Formats: sequence, structure tokens, C-alpha cells
Amino acid sequence: MTTDTIAPPTFSLPEHRLEGPLKVTGAAAFTDDVPVPDPLWAGFVASPHAHARITAIDTTAARALPGVHAVLTGSDVGGARFGRNVLDWPVLATDVVRFIGERVVAVAAESRDLVDEALALVDVEYEELPAVHDPSAAVAPDAPVLHPGAADYRVLRGTRPAVAHPNIQGHLVRAKGDQDIEEALRSADLVVESTFSTPRQHPGFLEPHAALVWLEADGTVRVVSTSKEPFALARQMAAALDLPVERIVVDNAFVGGDFGGKGLAALEFPLYFLARATGRPVRAALPYSDELAATSTRHAATMRLRTGVNRDGTFVAHAAEVVFDGGAYAAAKPSPQLVLGGGIATMSAYAVPHTRVELTTVYTNTVPGGHMRSPGEVQSVFAGEAHVDVIASRLGIDPVDLRRRNAARAGQPNAVGETFTHPAAVEVLDAVRTAVQWERPRTHGRGVGVALYQRGAGTGRGGVILRAVPDGSFQLVTGSVDQGGGTHTALRRIAATALGVAEDRVVVVRRSTRESLFDNGVGASRVTRILGEATIRAAADIRERLAVEGMGDTAIEARGEYEAAGHAEDSSFIAEAVEVEVDTETGAITVVDAVIAADTGEVINPTAHRGQLEGGFAFGLGAALMEELAVDDGQVVTGTLGDYKLPTVADMPPLRIIQVRAGGTSGPFGAKAVGELANSGVPPAIANAVAAATGVRLSSLPLTAEAVHGALR
Amino acid sequence: MTSFAFHPAASLAEATALLAQYGDGTQLLAGGTSLMLLNRLGLLAPDHVVGLRDVGELRGIAVDDAGALRLGALTKLRDIETAPEVRGVPVLAEAAHHVATVRIRNQATLGGSLGHADPAQDVPPALIALDARVDVAGPNSTRQLPVEDLFTGYLETSLHPGELVTGVAVPRSTRGTRGGYLKFLPRTADDYATVSVAAVVDVVDGRVTRIRVALGAVAPTPVRAHSVEAALVDGHVTSEQLRGAAEFVRQDIDPTSDARGSASYKNDVAVVCVRRLLGRLLETEQEGR
Repeated sequence: MTTDTIAPPTFSLPEHRLEGPLKVTGAAAFTDDVPVPDPLWAGFVASPHAHARITAIDTTAARALPGVHAVLTGSDVGGARFGRNVLDWPVLATDVVRFIGERVVAVAAESRDLVDEALALVDVEYEELPAVHDPSAAVAPDAPVLHPGAADYRVLRGTRPAVAHPNIQGHLVRAKGDQDIEEALRSADLVVESTFSTPRQHPGFLEPHAALVWLEADGTVRVVSTSKEPFALARQMAAALDLPVERIVVDNAFVGGDFGGKGLAALEFPLYFLARATGRPVRAALPYSDELAATSTRHAATMRLRTGVNRDGTFVAHAAEVVFDGGAYAAAKPSPQLVLGGGIATMSAYAVPHTRVELTTVYTNTVPGGHMRSPGEVQSVFAGEAHVDVIASRLGIDPVDLRRRNAARAGQPNAVGETFTHPAAVEVLDAVRTAVQWERPRTHGRGVGVALYQRGAGTGRGGVILRAVPDGSFQLVTGSVDQGGGTHTALRRIAATALGVAEDRVVVVRRSTRESLFDNGVGASRVTRILGEATIRAAADIRERLAVEGMGDTAIEARGEYEAAGHAEDSSFIAEAVEVEVDTETGAITVVDAVIAADTGEVINPTAHRGQLEGGFAFGLGAALMEELAVDDGQVVTGTLGDYKLPTVADMPPLRIIQVRAGGTSGPFGAKAVGELANSGVPPAIANAVAAATGVRLSSLPLTAEAVHGALR
Repeated sequence: MTSFAFHPAASLAEATALLAQYGDGTQLLAGGTSLMLLNRLGLLAPDHVVGLRDVGELRGIAVDDAGALRLGALTKLRDIETAPEVRGVPVLAEAAHHVATVRIRNQATLGGSLGHADPAQDVPPALIALDARVDVAGPNSTRQLPVEDLFTGYLETSLHPGELVTGVAVPRSTRGTRGGYLKFLPRTADDYATVSVAAVVDVVDGRVTRIRVALGAVAPTPVRAHSVEAALVDGHVTSEQLRGAAEFVRQDIDPTSDARGSASYKNDVAVVCVRRLLGRLLETEQEGR
């Protein structure tokens, strides 16, 4: 055992990414790279119709093709359905298809070319049914009911909320205050009403969904997958396939980007049936056109906001009705209410005595809605923070002054009634106001805009195994994947700090779901908080035992587990300000300056932390200015990444980041969440800046040059 | 992606022979930036592909005895952007600079950007504005035609079966010739143009003696703005005249609505782009941007 001449890590030093060299040299294995002997390739016949009855499927010719080992239809998989909470998405469609791109027939063959050849030989006959393409059509009294059997769908947690129309997927009302909301609104001097909408988006990760499934002789189902939630996937597969969860072992490779989209796993289910039918490992990776058109997207939303305000700018009451287009299946939503909880964030950083936010998700004959970085918040923060500027303009009050007046102070409750103990709302707002030179006069075409909001810490449960090894090193075993956020690097640093040893003494080992402790998965800005705390607990245990027993010839092992619910004290507050230049002839918007001020607590990985804020800004820039999955009659028409544009480094404005510390958190070493923080405020800040620059108030994303041009005509 | 038989050619003669041998539908692979994308999207599934990488006759950047710039079809767009020889003509390096990203420009070729005949490419409008000619070789003959006449429709050229682009000749520029390229990109810097304009003008004693204006992304092919040219040639151009002339571009273009904007928006923007670019070249006024 070496002596500790090297100190434990200092958080202010930039970290070295554990997997950096592997990724830079191309040696990192992703799902599609994982070798397996003698695999078959899988592919799918997809529905060309938004809503249709399947009247006949002829697979004879495909089956006869040499090298084709299985051709399965919905009846071959016993009508199995899957989902993250409600199991409503058929593994393969049985009688009805509900969106363009839905899987109808699965093929396994010796090569990708053979798969394509076999797919072309399958003949499916459909009888088209009336389709509903948007939520308002779907909830009309005479709308066709998309899921007549919805009451029978299994759910994994909780119970499905009662709904007012059979095409409503999910519903949630969060209200606070001792008065009826309409009454509270009436009591204000003025009620300001605004309506906003946001489009579907795709996360745009580099690695498309991929999976590899095989069965072992003892019946164990082995899965390698791009899922960011291996344990949740094992549970979902157990439920959908009627297998004991112990039989399913998920052992993921590197995940090539997630941004929320890798929470839904859909390939693994048909691959299981193909592997079972053929006795061979079966693998598939989605072409990116299928990624865009037929996996799961950010929910499009329409939002009606009403705020009762007094003449002095005080917010008295706030009501929001948020309607999400849930698409054909609710399977991609993990919440029991089948809504995006982030939708309640229309006024997240303010103290409003009376609030009522109603979230509704609706079935339509379009690609299913799912999770994408800050699900629900991207929609609700855009609406809420643009709405605040509308109020400011109506009252003739400066937008920053109006926010400052209503910003949450310590002891005040958040939107769901939890008390903020250390809200940094005023501090972050003041920081960006100064940095962006808010008061400086600007010429026509130039304007500044701001957004203020907060996001709670990630909740959930997870555990790690920590081992002290006789050679003086430590092993941290986790089942959590690193989807690019630097999870494993952060856990190593936390372990080294908690153990009081140098970072290079700690090795992070990722293991399958069978060889590691349960973890909710990489999402909801949860990992550093949950697994970080679990690591600290395990390290405390190890230190104590080392002190008592000393290091002998065998490893000492400790398990650390942690579960956290939401706490308002752990909220990360953030303000973002941008300056834009609008070309008043073409409408083109250029962001010329940007500032983020955020309270993210103690920073453990400074480089990754900065990357989350800067990358979050870029992510928000995409939502603000360019990203839209356009859908025409149920067909995603933004079919390639050539049309679905993502921002590049050349599009980034100069961006300054200001760290504010208000304290008060249960996160490890005082850390707060940062992963899903910075993106949501960019669209409203830019929309507000465009309004300041030109007088044009845009209420739909993305904020296109053409929309500005049209409004200026 | 579909599989195909790959036939690398070692010479121009071999390339044309392979094209003749495998016939209709055989595709050429130079940089692959278009072919491989179309193949992956299932829009092009050739059985045979002839590789051009080793065809020496298609390489090279030189200025010939007449002062014309000769560019081989395999010239990378990055080389057009950076080669000293190209700096002797206006607009061309500037247009090449605006193609996608450096990574793409290091791969994509001049011949490919012409043969692909995508109207949103950046280099073709510049070549048209420069009155460049394209060299074409068939199995038994070669010919030369104006770049403008190469394009017949969306992804369609006037190349006969078995012919390929071997290079481009850009005529010598005279002193006083000015050129420029304006690519309107309202979403991201890494995109095809919503509207692009290339122009080359000769100004003698304040008088426009020659003007060629070409636009990309606003019609099935790159197009000349003949109406704009006619309104400005042979005159001392004031900003007022330019403002009026730029409006004529609506007659020369036929944009379609797509993810980059509606047809009506592209018409409006084309007017602004033409006016701004020509304003910059003719120095009629300080144009804001």
C-alpha cells in the first residue's frame, strides 16, 4: 500500500475525464460496437398510416428468403405492450396502427442487406381510419377514440388518473392558496392572459438507439442497450415480457448522448422475441431518419397563462393550462400521472400566493411524446418568462424590476407549496442585470431580454458498492451508465474526497444490473446527488472499518444507498440574459451577448459543470432559433439532420457564467443540480430581447427569422 | 445503406470505360459527401460505383497561358478556399469558404458539387457569376460548356450518359473586377442557404461595364438574375437605382417553400440579399450588413 503523498482532489481543479482517452481514440465501445458471436440483424416494417386497421399481413415471401431466420407479427408476440409506466405501446402492432412509423413486422436475418430485402417482401394491408393530428381535434366530443382498451393497460407504478375524455393520456393539477383561483384572479387589479406554443423536438444525440439481445441456456435474457436506465429497462422488460426481473440482465456499453431521449427503450422488446425465435443474438441500430420520425420526441405544447397583477406589479394569482401533444402512446413518460411534471414551472422562481397549473397530455395519431432535457420546463419556462415580459409591458414596469419585486425570498413557498430556504432568485437576477448592462440605451434592432427560473434537485434512489483492495486501491462499482455527462468521473472524485485519498487510487467499474446495486438511471439531474451521497455513505463505512480492522489480505466491501425526495432547499436558481441584434429587413436574429448567473452550489467537476451550462445554453439556442420536428398529417417531414438543424459552435455568442452561492442543500458537499438547468431560459430570454429590439412579441418556438419578418411587415 | 460494387478507376480513360461498361445508374464517387448521404437515405441505390480518387487527370489547380484558372474536378472545396492561385479571381474562395464546415470542405470536391446539381450548393453560383466553363469527358470525346448550361433541373444536369465533369476553367479577371458572395443563413452557420447570391461586376470610371449575378437555393437550379443585370449594366448606379433593380430579382427566381422558409419569404430575402451584395460591390452606400 502506497502512502498518501498525494492529497485528495480539490474541486477547483479541472477534472480528467475517465473515458476521455477511450472516446478520443475511438476505442470506446458503444452498443453497436459490442462484439457478440454470430449475430443476426433486425429490421422492421413500419406503418405508413397515421391510423389504420391492419386487415392482412403476408410474410410468406420474406420467410422464404434464404438467410432470413424470423419474421414476426403482433400475434407472434402475444400482443405484448411496453412502457416506462403505462404499458400502452405494442411491441408489434396487432390490429390497429396509431402513428406513421409504428412497428408492424419484425425481421431477423444474416445481414443488414438481407433484412432490407426481406422487409420489402412483406405485404401488409390496411384499412385507413379517421386520424386526429392535434390535441384539440383529439378531445372533440366526436373524435375517434384511439385507445378503446386504455382501462386495461397495465401500469408499473401508481394508478392512471381519471380523465374527462378517452383521448386524454394524463392529467395533473397542482394548486396552492386558500382561495378559488378564479376568485383570486378577480381580486387583482388586472388579469393578463397570454397563449404560447412550442414544437416537437428531437434530442439530436450522436448515437441513435441501438440494442443487442440474446438468451442464455438457463433462460437469462442478456441485453446491451443504449438505455440510460438499465435497471428500469430490466423492470420494463420483465413487465412487458412476463418474465421475472432477475432473468433480465442489462449490461450497457457507453451511451453516445442522451439528453433525455435514451430514457425510452423500444428496440429491446422486439429484439427479445426475435432472439427467442431464432436462438441467436439479435442486434439493431436505428437509422437516423427513424430516430427523427418514430422514436419519441419532446412534447409539443400549447399553454394558456393568466396572471392577476396589481398596478404596482405584485403577482396575486397565476393560472396555467398546459396541453401536451402526447402522440400515439404514453409509454415514454415515466410519471404515474402521464404528464411532464416540469410543466408546472410557468412561474417557478416567484412567490405567488394563489396558483393553479393544470397539465393535460392528449393522445393523437402522431409520433409519441417523450422526455427531453428539462421535460415540460422547456415549454413552461418559455411561456412563463415570456408572459412575465408581457405583464411588464402591460404595466409599464421594467421587466427586471417586475421580476425582482416578485422573486421568491427565503421562507416563501414554491409552486407546489414547499418552502424555499435559500432562494438565489434576487442574486442571480441582479448578477445578470449588471453583467449585461441592462440599463444601457440600445439602438433600434438591438435589445436585451432576461429569464428567471429555478429547478429542483433530482429525486430517486440508487446505490454503489465500494471496495478497499489490499493493493491500496479502491473500486467503486456502479450500474449507472455514463451517457456523456461525466457521471463516473464525478463519482470517482466524490469517492476519493470522502475516502481522503488521491483520485487515481479510485477505479470506477461499471457492471451489469446483476452485479451492481439498483439505480434509478441517469436523468432528472439526479446522479451526482443520489449516487454521490450513496458513495459518501459507502466511503464513511469503509473508512471506519479500515480504522478498526486495518487493511488485510482480502478486500473490504461496503454498500452505500440513498434515496431523495424533492426539497425546495435544493433548488438551483438561474437567470439568463441575452442581447440580440435583429436584422429588421430579413428578421434574422443574432445573439450578440449572453450571461448566465446560477446557484449550483459546490462544483465537483468544474469542466463538466461549465460544459453543462455552456452546452445547456447551446441546447436552448437550438430550441429558441431552429429546432422543430415538423409534422404534416401525422408524418414527420423534418426527415434528416440536414433539415432538423442543431446549433454549432459557430452559432454560440460570447457567454459569461457567474456563479452565485446561496447555500442550503442536501447535495453531496453542497452540490446542486446543473444538468437540465441552463437550456430552458434561453428561448424566453431571446424572445424577450427580440420584443425589446423590435416590438415584435413572438409566442411560438422556434423564433424564426421569417416570423419576425412577417410581424415587421 | 445499400451495398454496391465499387470500381476504382486509375485513369480518366478507365473511368469513362467503366461508366460505359456498367451503364445507366452507375454513380461516381469523388468526395462522397453527397453520394453516401443519398445512399444512406435510400434515395440512391446504385449497383455500381466508379471511384475517381486515383484519376490523376482530375487533379490540379493551375493558371493556363491565357490566364484562366483551371481547376481539376477532384479539387477539394477546402483547396479552392485556400489555394493562392484561386485568390487571383474574385468570389470563388469566398463562396467555397461558406460550404458547411472545414471537415466537409476537406472531403467534398468541385466536380461533385457540380455533378450533384443541388441548387443550394455554394460554389456553382460563384462559377456562374464568373462566367466559368465546365470541362466534360465522355467515352470518346471531350467538350466544354458554360457552368450555367450544366444544370437542367433539381439534381439534373445536361451531362450525357457516360460523361463526367473533369474540371472547370475560370476566365482571367481584369483589373477592376469585383466579386462577392452572400449566403443568408438565419438558423445556423452550418446549413444550406435559405438564399445565396454571387456577383461579379466590372466598374470603369464609376460605370458598370459588366455585371453577372447568380443565385442559389431559389429555383430548381442555380439561376442568373438577368433582370437585375439588365437594369444595372452600362450605368452609374445610385443606391436608389440599386434598390429598384434588386426588386427585379423576383422575376428571375422561383423558390419553393421548405424548412428554410416560405417561397414568399425567400423572394423578399432575395431582394435584400441582391441589394446588399451589389451595394457592397458597387459601394453605392454603407450597407448595414
